[in-house]
Amino acid sequence: MNPIDPKIHQALDGEIPRAALSAELRRDADLLERAAALLAAAPQEGSVAARVMAALERPLPPRRSRVVRWLLTPHAVVLRMRPVWSVALAAGVLLLAILPAPSGAPALGDEEGVAQFVARFPGARSVAVVGSFNDWRPGSIALEDPDHDGVWRGAVVLPAGAHEYMFVVDGERWVADPLAGRYVEDDFGRENSLLIVRPVAE
Amino acid sequence: MDVGGTLSDAEVVARVLGGDREAFGLVIRRYEPGLLRYATRILGSSDAAADAVAEGLVRAYRHLASCRDPGRLRTWLYRIVANRCKSQLARRPTADVSLDDVPPIVDPGDTEAALERAEQLALVERALMTLPPDKREAFVLKHVEGMSYEEMSAATGERIPTLKMRVHRAREALLRALKEYL
Repeated sequence: MNPIDPKIHQALDGEIPRAALSAELRRDADLLERAAALLAAAPQEGSVAARVMAALERPLPPRRSRVVRWLLTPHAVVLRMRPVWSVALAAGVLLLAILPAPSGAPALGDEEGVAQFVARFPGARSVAVVGSFNDWRPGSIALEDPDHDGVWRGAVVLPAGAHEYMFVVDGERWVADPLAGRYVEDDFGRENSLLIVRPVAE
Repeated sequence: MDVGGTLSDAEVVARVLGGDREAFGLVIRRYEPGLLRYATRILGSSDAAADAVAEGLVRAYRHLASCRDPGRLRTWLYRIVANRCKSQLARRPTADVSLDDVPPIVDPGDTEAALERAEQLALVERALMTLPPDKREAFVLKHVEGMSYEEMSAATGERIPTLKMRVHRAREALLRALKEYL
């Protein structure tokens, strides 16, 4: 590929005035800008607004169906593993253990498990867990720190399978679990923590 | 064009999250034209672009609570639609598409100038589709959607030097192709 004069790039990026180009270079820059203008002004066919609004009015399928569909659908995801020490620390300190149902607690379905979240946020006023299991709605799963030592805990029954999640600190700061060990880049460019819940019947 | 009066993106997002589903219509009206234009250039098909944009907007609504900076809603939406486009391209048997067989949009009532414009547009579209998808995307975001490199970085997740290099390469290839066609 033949490189073009760097001045054309500089002029198109606004780094030098167009007047700094020779007549020949200006013709090339004009050609590119004319092409872009044609593309920008091209007529659009139709609108998807009605289609989108109709889709929004349809209720979401049950969470379990969505989880199953998510598991069965191929996803282009980047899985990044933390260094071994981090995984070991995560295993020692943290969550995602499958607990037997405590006496008196509601019985778990065969395809459900209990995920235990533990996170250290000294000085935080509130910590919540949001994720694919609660439509990323802050506040719906609040962690607790009854002894005010900065360690926040909570447990929640989840369908078996993979779940992406993050912590929301003080209602506004979204933080990936530093000890999750597994992370997935989602469609929105964030690196979410990933947990795997195994069914209690397994 | 003033879409949605004086409401900022952050205010519209707050309304939607507060339960006003219809307010999402403002988001659609505000950004649909650019998203469709972008997706059409990336996918080379207006039908495929409509699918990608519709899917992207539905996903955006469902995950709106996770939009951490509603003031940057525009680049957030482009990122979602860009990922829908990439998924579509990944599912295609061949990575690239051609507009060679697509005639220019011509109306019988068009003037001669309009006909010439449609012909030129078809040539530019053909030249654009000769670029690899990543360079095509960079050129479209920069020169058709008018984004800054910072906004492009937010919309694609790529580093600014990488995007600059792609834009430069796209300009070089496009200029060469345009000189050949025009």
